[in-house]
Amino acid sequence: MSAAPRSFAHPSAVAPRRPPAAVRGMRAFLRTHLFQSPLAGLFTFLLGAVLSVALWHILRWSILDAVWYAPDKGAACRVATGACWAVIAEKYRVILFGAYPYEQQWRGGVIIAGWLAWGALSATSLLPVWGRLAGWAGVFVLSILLLGGGLFGLMPVGTDLWGGLPLTFIIFGGTVAGGLPLAILLAVGRRSELPVVRWLCILTIEGVRGVPLLALLFFAALILPLFLPPNLTVDKLIRAEIGMIIFFAAYAAEVVRGGLQAVPEGQDEAAKALGLGYGARMVKVVLPQALAIVVPALFNDIIRAFKNTTFFSILGLFDVLGATKAALQDPNWVRYGTEGYIFVFLLYFILCSAMSAYGASIERGNQSRVRRAA
Amino acid sequence: MTATRDLVVEMSALSKWYGQHHVLRDVTLGLARGEKIVLCGPSGSGKSTLIRCINGLEPFHQGDLVVSGTHLDGTPASLAAVRRTAGMVFQSFNLFPHLSVLENLTLGAIYAKGEPERDAIARAHSLLARVQLTSQAQKYPGQLSGGQRQRVAIARALMLEPEVMLFDEPTSALDPEMVHEVLDVMEELARGGQSMIVVTHEMGFARKVADLVVFMDQGEIVEAAPPEQFFQAPSTARAKAFLGQISHAT
Repeated sequence: MSAAPRSFAHPSAVAPRRPPAAVRGMRAFLRTHLFQSPLAGLFTFLLGAVLSVALWHILRWSILDAVWYAPDKGAACRVATGACWAVIAEKYRVILFGAYPYEQQWRGGVIIAGWLAWGALSATSLLPVWGRLAGWAGVFVLSILLLGGGLFGLMPVGTDLWGGLPLTFIIFGGTVAGGLPLAILLAVGRRSELPVVRWLCILTIEGVRGVPLLALLFFAALILPLFLPPNLTVDKLIRAEIGMIIFFAAYAAEVVRGGLQAVPEGQDEAAKALGLGYGARMVKVVLPQALAIVVPALFNDIIRAFKNTTFFSILGLFDVLGATKAALQDPNWVRYGTEGYIFVFLLYFILCSAMSAYGASIERGNQSRVRRAA
Repeated sequence: MTATRDLVVEMSALSKWYGQHHVLRDVTLGLARGEKIVLCGPSGSGKSTLIRCINGLEPFHQGDLVVSGTHLDGTPASLAAVRRTAGMVFQSFNLFPHLSVLENLTLGAIYAKGEPERDAIARAHSLLARVQLTSQAQKYPGQLSGGQRQRVAIARALMLEPEVMLFDEPTSALDPEMVHEVLDVMEELARGGQSMIVVTHEMGFARKVADLVVFMDQGEIVEAAPPEQFFQAPSTARAKAFLGQISHAT
């Protein structure tokens, strides 16, 4: 036998207890995050000072010295040193509804209210997923019917007069509703074992990704009609929308393909071993997992699709941004463009943030439910 | 001759290549109904490839394979027929993480066989009881231990009411303390007369359960014998060397 080891270990036999004060609470946070060294403390102090000065100027311009109400074509704004928010009160109808006939703009108001209300409802878990999706389809179709009119005694309004936030919503809704299924088909097709299907999908994806959105929209709206037979007239809005859908789908297809590749091979094998056919394996086993993996990246594309609606203004279709630009042409208000654009900026910011918060909540839901079962 | 011996799996001169590499060399074996074959051999010997050929997860290039009367010729119809009668259990479980335990079991029955949902759920519950997971039906695979996951995977394969069960190293991914609960379930199945082919390094299991131990090395069957004979008096040097290596490990 060898001698007793010089290494040692003692059994501890202690009940669990809370961590010491140094690793929790406000002081610990300050020390570990803001002042962990003299240099870090100096930077915290300097950045804090710069931030405070900036915030003070912003506060003064945007609130303390701002003009909220300026009758008589904005007379009060011309002597004020702060922001002229009166321009919003004056122009919000044009910004929100574009060139849509003034007396009919309540329709646009109803559409905006409907989208926001259904968006809020969808963010809760009151309805099952299919119920939420069915609701979105309903909201989308009703929006188009309401904006177009011609039914139930509503005055017909041509798509060339559609504008503002309702148009933004409809372009966006159509892009996602048409683009996402197309993206899934392209992604699945790109992995197909049938060469013709695979090459068609690769050609579509790579072709579209190699072209700027602007060029695609110009092609769809202005050049495509030259090739179509003269008796086949497709509305400009629809043509541009198809361009948007294909553009969205080409990018989202690559995102979905990434998700398909991230699903372990064993999942498909296990489904095969159960005797499931290709369709059932895709729909029931592979795609649900692939899509759950790519939710963050998909919401990236979805939010971008929302912002890409602004491209429609170059085709003479006035989304919110285009309508704002048009509204600010008024010589009495032209100098308050900054305020107008800040308003639209906030509008986009709030809507996009809501979407990304919604995406994050889906992601959390997936994480808590689907932990990897290696 | 097939009828008299009642073979569930009959494989003759099966060959497969990965590129130039001849990974299965004229493998010939038959599994009689109700019997159990344990396949063993060093890693890379082709045993997993062989078992995966049986339900068509791997294609083979030469030879004949008949699984419960179906000639597996690579056509979709033959693949579908074979997969309906062969249950497969994988080393890494391959449970569907986005589905509950119950849904993992019923998915194949409902979408491959077209069984009414209510019947599938009833059968699933009785199989979960059989693998002693009655209370876990609503959980997700990620909430279970490794041993529980593998038992769910066994129950999922049993939902096919398979004529043959194929186990591809079912305990190799498990922590040691969970191995026995899976082996217990497999032994219980074996006692119930289930035909099975098991790839495993658990020689205790082979001794207890196998009717025939098949030792493979470099893509060929080197030796096949009943367990007493194989473990006490292996006739080839390669089998002796292999047994020497794994007995040191246990």
